[in-house]
Amino acid sequence: MESAESVGTRTRTNLWQRLLRRHLITVATASLLVLAIAMNAILQSDFFTPSVIRSNLTSFVPLVVAAVAQTIVILAGGIDLSLGVIITLVDVVVVRLIGTSSSPTVLALCLGAGLAVGALAGLVNGIAVAVIRLQPIVATFATSFIWSGLSLLVMPRPGGQVPTFFYRGYRQVFLGIPVAAWIIAGVLVLWLIIKRLPLGRYIYAVGGNQQAAYATGINESGVKIASYVLCGVFAAIAGLCIVADTATGDPFVGAPFTLTSITAVVIGGTRLTGGVGDAGNSVIGAIILGLVTNIIFFANVPSFYQEFIFGVIVVAALAGAGMLTTRRRSS
Amino acid sequence: MAILEAKGVHKRFGGVVALDGASLSCERGEVHALLGSNGSGKSTLAKVITGVVAPDAGEIKIRGKVEAPRSPADMRRLRVAAVYQDLSLIPQLTVAENILLHEEPRGRWGFIDSKALRRKAATAAEQFAEALGRSIPMDELVGNLSPSEQQTVEIIKALARNPEILILDEATASLHKGEVDALFETITKLKAKGCAILFISHRMEEIFRFCDRATVLRNGQTVGTVKLSEASEGDLVDMMVGQRMDEVRAGRGQATRGKESQEGPEKFQREGSQPVVLRIHNLRAGDGAVRDVSLELREGEVVGLGGLQGQGQSELLKAIFGALPLESGRIEINNNPVSISKPMDAIRNGIALIPGDRAREGLFPVRPVLENLNIASMHRRSAAGFLRARREEAAAGSIVSDLQIKVEDLSHPVHTLSGGNQQKVVVGRWLLNGPRILLLDDATKGVDVHAKSEIYAIIERLREQGAAVLLYSSDDLELVTLCDRVLVLYEGKIVETLSGADLTENRLVSAALRLAPSGNGSEISPGRAYDTGRDNMGRGGLHGVS
Repeated sequence: MESAESVGTRTRTNLWQRLLRRHLITVATASLLVLAIAMNAILQSDFFTPSVIRSNLTSFVPLVVAAVAQTIVILAGGIDLSLGVIITLVDVVVVRLIGTSSSPTVLALCLGAGLAVGALAGLVNGIAVAVIRLQPIVATFATSFIWSGLSLLVMPRPGGQVPTFFYRGYRQVFLGIPVAAWIIAGVLVLWLIIKRLPLGRYIYAVGGNQQAAYATGINESGVKIASYVLCGVFAAIAGLCIVADTATGDPFVGAPFTLTSITAVVIGGTRLTGGVGDAGNSVIGAIILGLVTNIIFFANVPSFYQEFIFGVIVVAALAGAGMLTTRRRSS
Repeated sequence: MAILEAKGVHKRFGGVVALDGASLSCERGEVHALLGSNGSGKSTLAKVITGVVAPDAGEIKIRGKVEAPRSPADMRRLRVAAVYQDLSLIPQLTVAENILLHEEPRGRWGFIDSKALRRKAATAAEQFAEALGRSIPMDELVGNLSPSEQQTVEIIKALARNPEILILDEATASLHKGEVDALFETITKLKAKGCAILFISHRMEEIFRFCDRATVLRNGQTVGTVKLSEASEGDLVDMMVGQRMDEVRAGRGQATRGKESQEGPEKFQREGSQPVVLRIHNLRAGDGAVRDVSLELREGEVVGLGGLQGQGQSELLKAIFGALPLESGRIEINNNPVSISKPMDAIRNGIALIPGDRAREGLFPVRPVLENLNIASMHRRSAAGFLRARREEAAAGSIVSDLQIKVEDLSHPVHTLSGGNQQKVVVGRWLLNGPRILLLDDATKGVDVHAKSEIYAIIERLREQGAAVLLYSSDDLELVTLCDRVLVLYEGKIVETLSGADLTENRLVSAALRLAPSGNGSEISPGRAYDTGRDNMGRGGLHGVS
């Protein structure tokens, strides 16, 4: 084929260079992950035992899923400052709906309702941004108060319970692999599906150059709304994982995820202005953040310094990611 | 029956009238040129036809049926495709992905069929690549391509949509000669298939080579449609320039009064004897948007930069002001070489730049008039590092009455003023800094006639006070009215200098289009447009139009 030939001759000489350049960010993020794993393993002698791996993964899952959610809106040129509170809202709604029931059917319906709540919240965010045309930061910051207020109405103080099989199941190992890992894998598969659908390409296109996307005939408002709905659904999945992990409801549980998810996205090399990046890298970014927390804990850093050290490490990682992305742009 | 018809199209952007009753009619199998000087509304009309811009009034008929497109997607369904001047490509996607953006072949379960996509994109590229004699890299990211390659991809993207009506808006501006030839070949094939092509280009040679008929716009109105086989270049220039009597009457006034008194031998003597304030040697900047420009500016002189829009005029002014890095060349001020790498350096050397895009490059819209006026010269009025409110008010007050800026209170945010008064605030800011060299980058664009003539009067007064003025304007009448001489730029180079009796609107348009002076019947030399440093044309052109 004529075109295949042309690509062949153009790339053969510097295939490795080109691969490295195209995947520079993935390579950099992965190296950072290896570094974090190594440091953690040095400090924590039983790091590679199955039970530690399982418990680590279990605690990382909510941030991993939240980071994927945040990546999708950021890629489309937006941002979601209400993401953490959507997680909270899903958490309390699901726990409240379950009540004292222990029937698997009721549980399944409640989990479905949780996903619907996330999608609906995302839809509202999307409409505020794409139809009312508010700045994404302002729009989602404003709606975050609505979700937060609703959460407090649904459940004023922590409480409630979930069926035993649900939270036990979350900690299980299935086919030799922890359930938490299955969830991460499942979320990644969902992301790959989105990426291969036309919608996925339009998300990149709208984030990359909104006017060009419009001139090409893409319904850019629709794409933005879809990105927020998807973000809401993934945020809901993160919320369900937290329900399974904590086995109770808490109207304050999600708030920190807003900023940590953005941090994970940036460590993963996704450009905050949209169009460049990948949710897969954000997953690595989220795991790195989790490992850093571990490292600080096992390094016996005095508790007064823990937050300070965490901040220094995150700033260093972000600066590294920032340097890579600016270099890429200027080259 | 015409496949494409536009009737009485009107469009305003804020206070600026872009289209004021434009019409055109295009047949199947026809290449139809859309002509007009700067700001005549060509691009706006093209965007109305593609659905990017919604007209305020008017009728678009496609295949005889009235259509009211609400978005580009609607026009796409009617098989209208366009190659845009400001590219419609996504730099982060690959060439193949861009070519079939929004036309992706679907596989099972609605997934994008990547193999089919690459195959289809390659097929779409093939006819063009064949004419070009080289292939297009399908898997490269568009952002990594050169401007001329990007333009090629943009053309292939439009062709892949299999259009019946194709709009080419300055599609050749950043192409090399071989690529233009390939486009010509492709257009000929499309014509044979019954396509209608609307062709916009600033290169007259291409108009005569590609097109069957031409519709000429002037000030947003259609002047007429002519068969190109029966028209001469001179006829087209006359149609483009016309007699803008109303504007002539309104715009002259106070500005010309000053000029008339300087006509005659006295003026020439002054030009020769005044010291050179600014001298530029072989300046190159903006990735070749400005190429090899040399000029001299004397005290008390107003020199114009003319030519079509986007031929490097803005880039030249920005480079002198340090807002765009010099790639090569020297700048001398008062016969001393200076190094200007940022606007601060230029300001220290007594240079001021008054931008045309005041919203983006000039004003702080929500801040008070007072602050906007003082921001560039605060250091002159501060004491021990502290701002002195009373001195600032005094300075601002004097400039406001000097320039007759209509403002109720200095504390009002500047965005509450009218456009003309806002522009006067920008001018006033720089006057407070006492500039010796004043650069104006299309400073009266979108300003009403009255404010325009007031700004002309200010320029005239500064000239009398010994300032040197270098001014770019997209309004040829403004250049004729204000300037001692005009340097005409084309694709980044000075191609002609007009002064004295030669400085007329007609000559400016001819020079801008690189035609021989109209009236003496000499012909344009074929391919002349391409002789000006072809190797760099691609980069220069793209930066010019962006």
